[in-house]
Amino acid sequence: MGNNRLFETATLTSSGRPVFLPNEVECQLLSNVDLEAEEESSSLFSLQSGLLILTTHRLLWFSSSSSSSAAPPVSASIPLASITHIFSPKKSIKSIFTSHRIRFQVTATDSRSVVIKVVVRGKVDWDGFLGNVWDCWRGRAWESFDTSERPCASGGLYGTDGSVRMVGVAGILRKEQEMWETTDKSLQDAFQDLNALMSKAKEMVMLAEKMRQKLLSGSSTQTSSTNEDEIGSKEEMHDWLLSVGIVSPVTKESVGALYHQQLLRQLADFVRNPLERAGGMINLIDIYCLFNRARGTELISPDDLMQACSLWQKFDVPVMLRKFDSGVMVIQNKSHSDEEIFNRIRAVVKKSEALRAGISASDAAITIGIAPAMAKEYLLSAESKGLLCRDISPDGFRFYINLFPNIDSLDVYLEMRASSKKWPLMVEQKWWRGGGQS
Amino acid sequence: MRRRPGIGGLQTAAAARDQYRLLGENVAKLRTDLMKEQLATFRAQLEDFARKHKNDIRKNPAFRSQFHEMCAKVGVDPLASNKGFWAELLGIGDFYYEIGVQIVDICLATRPHNGGLINLQELCNLLRQRRKSDREAVSEDDCLRAISKLKVLGSGFEVISVGKKKLVRSVPTELNKDHNEILELAQAQGFVTVDEVEKQLVWTSGRAIDALDTLLEDGLAMIDDGHRDGKRRYWFPCVVHLSQYEFSLTYVET
Repeated sequence: MGNNRLFETATLTSSGRPVFLPNEVECQLLSNVDLEAEEESSSLFSLQSGLLILTTHRLLWFSSSSSSSAAPPVSASIPLASITHIFSPKKSIKSIFTSHRIRFQVTATDSRSVVIKVVVRGKVDWDGFLGNVWDCWRGRAWESFDTSERPCASGGLYGTDGSVRMVGVAGILRKEQEMWETTDKSLQDAFQDLNALMSKAKEMVMLAEKMRQKLLSGSSTQTSSTNEDEIGSKEEMHDWLLSVGIVSPVTKESVGALYHQQLLRQLADFVRNPLERAGGMINLIDIYCLFNRARGTELISPDDLMQACSLWQKFDVPVMLRKFDSGVMVIQNKSHSDEEIFNRIRAVVKKSEALRAGISASDAAITIGIAPAMAKEYLLSAESKGLLCRDISPDGFRFYINLFPNIDSLDVYLEMRASSKKWPLMVEQKWWRGGGQS
Repeated sequence: MRRRPGIGGLQTAAAARDQYRLLGENVAKLRTDLMKEQLATFRAQLEDFARKHKNDIRKNPAFRSQFHEMCAKVGVDPLASNKGFWAELLGIGDFYYEIGVQIVDICLATRPHNGGLINLQELCNLLRQRRKSDREAVSEDDCLRAISKLKVLGSGFEVISVGKKKLVRSVPTELNKDHNEILELAQAQGFVTVDEVEKQLVWTSGRAIDALDTLLEDGLAMIDDGHRDGKRRYWFPCVVHLSQYEFSLTYVET
């Protein structure tokens, strides 16, 4: 480690993070970085293999030795204000193989002009880092807040040198205003660009609307010659509408954008495992979360998911989308049948505990092996089919087997035996033995 | 074209139709070429914009919401698909879809506690806590946009306004006007009693009890029978920031 008389040291907190100046924001962190200074008197001073932190105000370098090592940590802090020039990197064949480096001309603490070279050995988004360095240096964040950096020696609204201090409600308001003014300047041109962009977008939208009309009307006109061209161009139109950001409806004839066609196949494959685990039926929103988490980046939007799932019916995939009355949408296997689930429910509900106390959605979920939310949907649809009766109590919903259809209008009164402890079973025997009505 | 009877007439009619169709196709082709060109210029302009202001959109929530408003005015939906230009070049798609996933998570985790209805502020706080490691700040507006996108998946994700507060619903149960009014009343103290409801909203006791019972069934209300005056209190976790209230334990003398 060379001696560090060129630059100030940077202070660390007890947990090893650098102490930032007010309003200083960290931009990027790189590891395995060397800092070398080329002095006039050919004695190089260099700091090897440390952590480089680029902030809006400074370049901080820390040696990456852990706190338990004997040597005290070395650090250097180069204020961006002292950088007078950034050399653009020379692009040569050699630069592809060696590690990335960047050179600055800096005015050191003893007012000498030194050239600093930063060598990054690890894997890094070099272009992004360069961009950040230029942004931070050009941003000159240290200048706008100079007035607020005066240490508060005395109380009152005004500091020792007469500049306004940030204290109290007035201070907060003033700080907000200053922040707005600085961001305002940089955002003004952003807004101007945004306006220009939006006017162009408006044109695109009008064009896209015409295309959309064409798509919708194209499905109604007679096309005796459905050549490949037309189908291809319809797909293209969908793609374009998607790119601009207009959700195009999936009509009876259209097959949607190419992206959605690919997505629906991917989804059909992905959904197989969760479906098995969930017993054959899974909530659409659960799939959204699972799929996006599995993807990590390049996530899909909820609209993408909806479009892809609604296209399933046109393609040969073993899954389908189903919408319940309550609005809940689920994905289920095509081979999955409701009848099977209803049979299972019927079996569960005829057991003796169920005859006495009914089943709730969670009971059904455990015995049938599907998710509780799905179980509730099934119980409700079984009820609407006449299979079950509901019983609403402060405990919640419970379902019992529906015996009403079995009531013979000529024989409404049921026999009760004296030993009525076994009454529910006796009832069952009478009703089911009587038979004929079910 | 003079109409001629017979097969000859049919043939000429068919030929004429074909000619018109070809013409139509050519015109359409011209239009699609024009469209391609327009799309390319638009994309180039968007790339330009993205290069200069991508960071602004990511870092500045106010700029982001302004951007969304302008898109809505123009009629484009930048979050419609991750394949669109907007998501591709500005990179905001992933940001919102990720927020969507996290919101679903949080709602699911708090459902046993509040029955599927959560205060928007509380949701944003929990979201920010989860995202502490991420650099980008999340504003309430961002949460609202993410939730509005989730709506399309069914399962009832929606933002409803009750009085001054906004609540996020994550279950398919519908809340009618009576329920909304009770929730609004509950915002004052966190709970309501049947008497209060009857007096403040001028309802019959049957109506009040009915509405409160439905809310209880749905899991949105909790019963508190431990108060000294014996009146039953209905607490609503969704309108209460539990950190705001100091709980004092009152011992019931048996």
